[in-house]
Amino acid sequence: MTGASCGVEKTIWDRLFTSLVAAIYIFLMFPIVLVVLLSFNSGEFLAFPLEGFSLRWFEALFSNKRFLDATLYSIQIAAVSTIVNGVIGTLAAIYVARYAKVARDFMRLIMTAPLLVPEILTAIALLFYFYEIRIGTDYSIGIQIGHIVVTFPYVFLNVSSALFNFDRSQEEAARSLGASGWMTFRRVTLPAIKPGIITGCLFAFVISFDIFNISLLLKSLGKNTLPLELFDYLRFNFDPTAAAIASLSIFMTFTAILIIDRTVGLRSLRF
Amino acid sequence: MTALTIDRINKRYGNLHILKDISIPIAKGEFVSLLGPSGCGKTTTLRCIAGFERPDDGSILFGNRDVTRTLPEQRDIGMVFQSYALFPHMTVAENLSFGLEVRKVSVPDRQKRIADVLAMVRLEGYDKRFPRELSGGQQQRVALARALVIEPSVLLLDEPLANLDATLRDEMRFFIRDLQQRVGITSIYVTHDQAEAMVMSDKIVVMSAGTISQFGSPREIYERPASQSVAGFIGRSNTISGKIAEALGQDSYKVDTPCGSIGTTGPAGLAKGAEVKIMIRPENIHTRKQCVGAGQKQEAGSGEAGKDENVLAGAVVNSVYQGSANQLAVKLASGDRVTVDVNGRNPLDVGEQVALRFAASDTWLLAS
Repeated sequence: MTGASCGVEKTIWDRLFTSLVAAIYIFLMFPIVLVVLLSFNSGEFLAFPLEGFSLRWFEALFSNKRFLDATLYSIQIAAVSTIVNGVIGTLAAIYVARYAKVARDFMRLIMTAPLLVPEILTAIALLFYFYEIRIGTDYSIGIQIGHIVVTFPYVFLNVSSALFNFDRSQEEAARSLGASGWMTFRRVTLPAIKPGIITGCLFAFVISFDIFNISLLLKSLGKNTLPLELFDYLRFNFDPTAAAIASLSIFMTFTAILIIDRTVGLRSLRF
Repeated sequence: MTALTIDRINKRYGNLHILKDISIPIAKGEFVSLLGPSGCGKTTTLRCIAGFERPDDGSILFGNRDVTRTLPEQRDIGMVFQSYALFPHMTVAENLSFGLEVRKVSVPDRQKRIADVLAMVRLEGYDKRFPRELSGGQQQRVALARALVIEPSVLLLDEPLANLDATLRDEMRFFIRDLQQRVGITSIYVTHDQAEAMVMSDKIVVMSAGTISQFGSPREIYERPASQSVAGFIGRSNTISGKIAEALGQDSYKVDTPCGSIGTTGPAGLAKGAEVKIMIRPENIHTRKQCVGAGQKQEAGSGEAGKDENVLAGAVVNSVYQGSANQLAVKLASGDRVTVDVNGRNPLDVGEQVALRFAASDTWLLAS
């Protein structure tokens, strides 16, 4: 901090900085607002100017069986990814934080690799691998594993950070009071890392609901996730149904953030 | 009767020998402090007693029960941590209830014991609060209550006051000591603060580099330190080097030093001619303005000094006002510097010649 910006009076730099932050927020929020606005447009095309308010594109969305099936399919895959990662991501974080000794940093890197490697590469690698071990892409197992792999780091990282901030002497206190290892975990450790688990799981859900590349390469026969269905749709149509789907997606993301805030508080997202 | 016996335990981490043949017998109801600088092994010793570390060899007995190979939860201990380690998602009452639930104490009995222990730590009415709603001192009292409510056979305290501010720390020392005496529980207290160990303990174990330097009462350790490092670690001390001239009795010696011959007290069995260091505490040295240098012989007949008194001459080289006392640095004829406490109202100026008087019984010889 320079002396100038520490003063009570706002300098030109403070004003500039505030404007810059505002500009960034506008840049990030503008497309979202735009899409939501377009989804309520009564016009035939995904374009401005808006012609009037209407819920017809939502109606079109919910009466389109393909979109409904895709939404349910996406929710199913996201839910399974969330539950599976909630368990294995937490266990992996506990192992790396507590028991890994020599290769801890290396393991942490490996666990976060799906986040670091471009998604398309992970998708291609998994595709080859699945054909090699004869899982193929006839069934949903391939795409499901793909989603689990890609969303795994979100649970792992959030639980790791919760464990890192956790004072282990609480566990020792519980042991000194006569609690077994399992009881200590259930009554002391688990409640302490619960915010990390919830946050990680919600991230996993939202990301899984959203990702495209993995789904494109690993999708099973005749089944599309919502982003894939949307992509197919937009290749031949240009009406605001797409905007309605986008609005639905945005709504789900906001719901997730709201749940995090209400249950564990957004403060737990600080690293 | 010994409540706790630590018998020749060793602990190594790779090449580091953390504990070397540590043996401590602790009587029932005693308050024993493990005192030493960080890295001396005091915390590792405590963690071995608690069961969080397992010694490589040696044994630990609670009464007659060998607990060396048992898990912490099987040992019947109460432990207080430096970080308090309260369960943040539980209220005060739930924190206290935890150990009782594990022990399957009935609900009415549980409530009674929680109420009793809260009264004991003077936190009545705080049972529904969460730890984050309490001050540091209150949290520490809850931690203490949580350890005591299960009525363990041993209470272990790992630097419990290190995170408190100075005033509160002083208050908590007496609070913990008083509580420990009322309950009569055998306690082991780890600290690096020698003042804390002095005022709280029945016995102090002074540790350094994985060994016990001295084990004794606070008085023994302060007045009869076993080595120069113990003398230096507990309180302030001065040392003057010399050689034993003759043994006057079983524990009194005459020592030749560059400042003359000095009458001293020391451990029995020091041989004539042995190199020793004479330790004197700053508060045991008395000063008097003096115009001529004087040795013991000169002063002997003057009446100011008793027959076991020593007198050394020196010049004041530094004077620091400390409120209750003035701390003087005095340079002796031999060149040694000696720290002396004098009454703050009679300041001596830098450069003044002073006579330093101290009784032979206030000295202690350290082998060098």
